Amino acid sequence: MKRLIVRYLRLYIIQAWFAYRALFAWSTPFNYFVSKFGFHFFSMIMFVFIGKFVGLTDPVYIVIGNILLLPSGTCLSGISMTVGNERQFGAMSYLLGSPAPRAPIFLGRALFHILDSFVTIAIALPVTIWFFHFDMTNTNFFLVLLCVFITSFTTSGMGFIMGSISLVNRDGWMITSTLSLSLYILAGANFPVASLPAFLQVVSYSLPMTRGIMAARAALDGANWAAIAPLVFGEIAMGLIYIAVGYAMFRLLERQSMVSGVLDNL
Amino acid sequence: MIRRALRLVGRQMNVQLRIRTFNLYSSLLFFLQPAIFSGVGMILSRAAGNEKPDLVYMVIGGGLLGMWSGMVFTSTFDIGRDRRDGMLELIVASPTSLGTVEAIRTLTNVLAGLVSMLAAFLVAMLIFDYSLADADIPGVVISLIMILFGIWAMGVFLANFTVWSRVSGSYVEFLEIPIPLLCGFMYPLGILPVWMQTLSAVIPIRWALEALNGALLGKQSMAFLLSHWGMALLLSLIFWGLSRWLEGKVHDRIRVTGEMSSI
Repeated sequence: MKRLIVRYLRLYIIQAWFAYRALFAWSTPFNYFVSKFGFHFFSMIMFVFIGKFVGLTDPVYIVIGNILLLPSGTCLSGISMTVGNERQFGAMSYLLGSPAPRAPIFLGRALFHILDSFVTIAIALPVTIWFFHFDMTNTNFFLVLLCVFITSFTTSGMGFIMGSISLVNRDGWMITSTLSLSLYILAGANFPVASLPAFLQVVSYSLPMTRGIMAARAALDGANWAAIAPLVFGEIAMGLIYIAVGYAMFRLLERQSMVSGVLDNL
Repeated sequence: MIRRALRLVGRQMNVQLRIRTFNLYSSLLFFLQPAIFSGVGMILSRAAGNEKPDLVYMVIGGGLLGMWSGMVFTSTFDIGRDRRDGMLELIVASPTSLGTVEAIRTLTNVLAGLVSMLAAFLVAMLIFDYSLADADIPGVVISLIMILFGIWAMGVFLANFTVWSRVSGSYVEFLEIPIPLLCGFMYPLGILPVWMQTLSAVIPIRWALEALNGALLGKQSMAFLLSHWGMALLLSLIFWGLSRWLEGKVHDRIRVTGEMSSI
């Protein structure tokens, strides 16, 4: 048993390391910063000005929300691209032909995206708080960081699902982008989820990130663990469901591919 | 001569529309992304206590955003795809100049982007009961033409500019939202800090858009419209002139290096 766990952990870390080294889209610091901050940063500024135009005087809600939404770029789009690119780069056949257990191979793709996402928010959030003179007297830093880490982890579930879809659909990137954009409305980044129509609130609560962002906001406002625990556990549960669905989809596609060669035919 | 030119334009547009312009990703840029931005704007407006959103900025501005995004992505990615597919050298070696090909392609992309604007007008009128009763219709039409010309001039400039670099795709990330941000696609320019308003003065779309918003509201004088159209036209021509200069530079560089793929 112990040997099996060590083997799985070793594979997981090696896969994570290779997945990190294969991030060609981030091959230069310029590409890294542009791909991570370009669209998200300027969209945030645009939403701030839209808010100012419609009469919202305090931009902090929008700014904090958009920073907490950063995992949608790194974990959702990044993991989706990492998994989906296996086929594009011609590595899929070798991967499917290898005897290695699939779980660490598949899940290992996410580790660096989760860490990167966490570090990005952990740096961006204090800078924003300092810039906007946000009142932090009651803020529980440990809980904020915990919420940020959990949100980064749970968002990877959506990345796995989208990555699996990208393996069998040429327009996978379009679907990922659509979901990523929809989060500006659905995840409660720019306004409270309660502002949405009822049916969209149901969609919002069935996504990872929503509860994580709410919990992080509450922790920033000084809420204690007891107050945010239901949100945190709900977020973890939602993330685990998405990760399980993503993994199940990958295994299903793998089995189908063994019969029809579908992954190489696209 | 004219017949030959029209034939070239027709064929190039046909190919561009079939191969590059209309695909699922374009529909995301033309319709979904503007809808998301407009949606956020409208919900923020409701959260701020407004009964109705400002349709000129929230909905029609969203349509303009779709038009711009579609042009930026298609025109700049065209070069990247040509380079990757080995087409760039062939286009450069053909009797039709790269600049002409890019100009027709960009025109196609800009005209295709009109579907986004049209959809925005339809949404505003059919869903939100937006009325053009107060609008200065000739002013709206001329302003739209100026916006199209401005976007085209910037598109041709960017298309030539990105020939120089392999990382053109990354530049797009930096251009897609900042131009709408600076030009006030979804809010009046007066909302922006003064330094940002000054910065936006070099962008032709900003002037044409101010004229469009003025014409849609029907509250601006003819002098205001004429001065803004004049500025939009002048700046568009400057961008077009810069594109011609860049095109010459690109051709010189190709003659020296003998290939484009290494750039």
